[in-house]
Amino acid sequence: MPRNTKKIDAERELFESEARPYLDVLYSVALRLTRSPVDAEDLVQDTLVRAYRFYDRFEAGTNFKAWLLRIQMNTFVNRYRRATRERQVFEGPMAAPVGEGVMGRATMRGLTDPVGDAQRRLIGREIQRAFDELSEDARAMVLLADVEELSYKEISEIVGCPIGTVMSRLHRARKQLQGSLQSHAVQLGIIEDDEEQVDDPIPLEAFRARKLVKS
Amino acid sequence: MTCKLVRRHLGAFVDGETDPATQIEFERHFEACPGCQEHLAFERSLREQTRESLGGIHAPEQLWNRTLHRLDEIDVVRNDGRTPLAARPMHLRQTWIIAAAAAAILIIGGVVGLPEGTDYQSAGMLQDVVNLHSQALPSDVKAEAPQEVVRYFQGKTPFPVKPAQFEEPSVKFVGARYIKVGVHPAAALYYNHGGHRVTLLLFQSPEIVRDAQRTNVGGREVYYHNVGGHVVTIRQHGGVNYAFYGDLDRPVLFQLAANARVED
Repeated sequence: MPRNTKKIDAERELFESEARPYLDVLYSVALRLTRSPVDAEDLVQDTLVRAYRFYDRFEAGTNFKAWLLRIQMNTFVNRYRRATRERQVFEGPMAAPVGEGVMGRATMRGLTDPVGDAQRRLIGREIQRAFDELSEDARAMVLLADVEELSYKEISEIVGCPIGTVMSRLHRARKQLQGSLQSHAVQLGIIEDDEEQVDDPIPLEAFRARKLVKS
Repeated sequence: MTCKLVRRHLGAFVDGETDPATQIEFERHFEACPGCQEHLAFERSLREQTRESLGGIHAPEQLWNRTLHRLDEIDVVRNDGRTPLAARPMHLRQTWIIAAAAAAILIIGGVVGLPEGTDYQSAGMLQDVVNLHSQALPSDVKAEAPQEVVRYFQGKTPFPVKPAQFEEPSVKFVGARYIKVGVHPAAALYYNHGGHRVTLLLFQSPEIVRDAQRTNVGGREVYYHNVGGHVVTIRQHGGVNYAFYGDLDRPVLFQLAANARVED
């Protein structure tokens, strides 16, 4: 028997025990990104195969979930998105103007704490539909921040961009989701239409800087 | 702090990403401003509803096991210290499985009475074909997406999976899934023939045809095995075995195998 078998077995056991708890998270994110159960399964398998291959590069004590998700995001971008890259130009983060779709008061009231299961289900479906219409970049942002509840720092590591960029991309994604939700909710009669001034967001850093100057 | 600023950075506040000093300022503002309170309640509620409607998905039951099979492949290569391309021999672990399977077949063989002249390895695989049909495991690819079949099996089986097509219009594709016949990665394709289930297993194993009986149906070469009174018919295409088994009469099963077409 080759001499390194024991080492491989120990490493394999450790990897399995560390990775298994995140299978649902990986699949959930993969399914929302690819929108196809078959592609999602492939993506998760490819992710775990890569993770296992490069397991020795994982720094013990750091966030394993974020590490797995980073591998998955890279795999997704490199392989599954290549075919649809052209579409990205029109659907990507630069496509929609920032600030679009900020909720009005009546919309907010209609969607805050829906009463009854029927209303909840209806809004739940609308959220899914609005989410599916988002660009891949925006979907990833909403998934990582709002569904998986990862910190901005973790997200910045997963998608490979500075925290400030995470904030503006996340802001844009949320506003797009809300905008789409609002227009459909009005059409479906879940809420009444209203009009309110739409604001342009400014980066938090700029806000802090302004605050510093004032004080 | 103005309402405008509070609302612009509400997301970061709800995410808990504002520094402590800013957070206190936010909280003070909310205490005094019912309008912003409403925005806060909405932001939190929408966050919760988003999580509810998009999260909580569970991975399919077999996904972890399938992943482990792929990790096995890496381990086998690592154990050998060879590159995946060079490594095609039978590995220790697999040899053991075959030995175990052969032992199991000895026992099963004693019960169902396997045909003489078939070696144990082929007998095990044939028994698998029969068992996999009776288990009727759920499909991973559904009939609504037959074009997904080829893609689904990419990277799973060492050969491209091309579903068989039939002249008979009564034969309908139902679904497919990844499976193993003996130690060989296989594609199980499910069909329905006039209300009867038919399972078609695609896998690579030269011995299964070598040990088979051979006949000619309508000018086409059909191999067959007798497995404890059941007949499994086999066609070969591009080095891949297409093993047919189903709830059908023998002549129908032969006809089906003979009429199967595979696009190149």
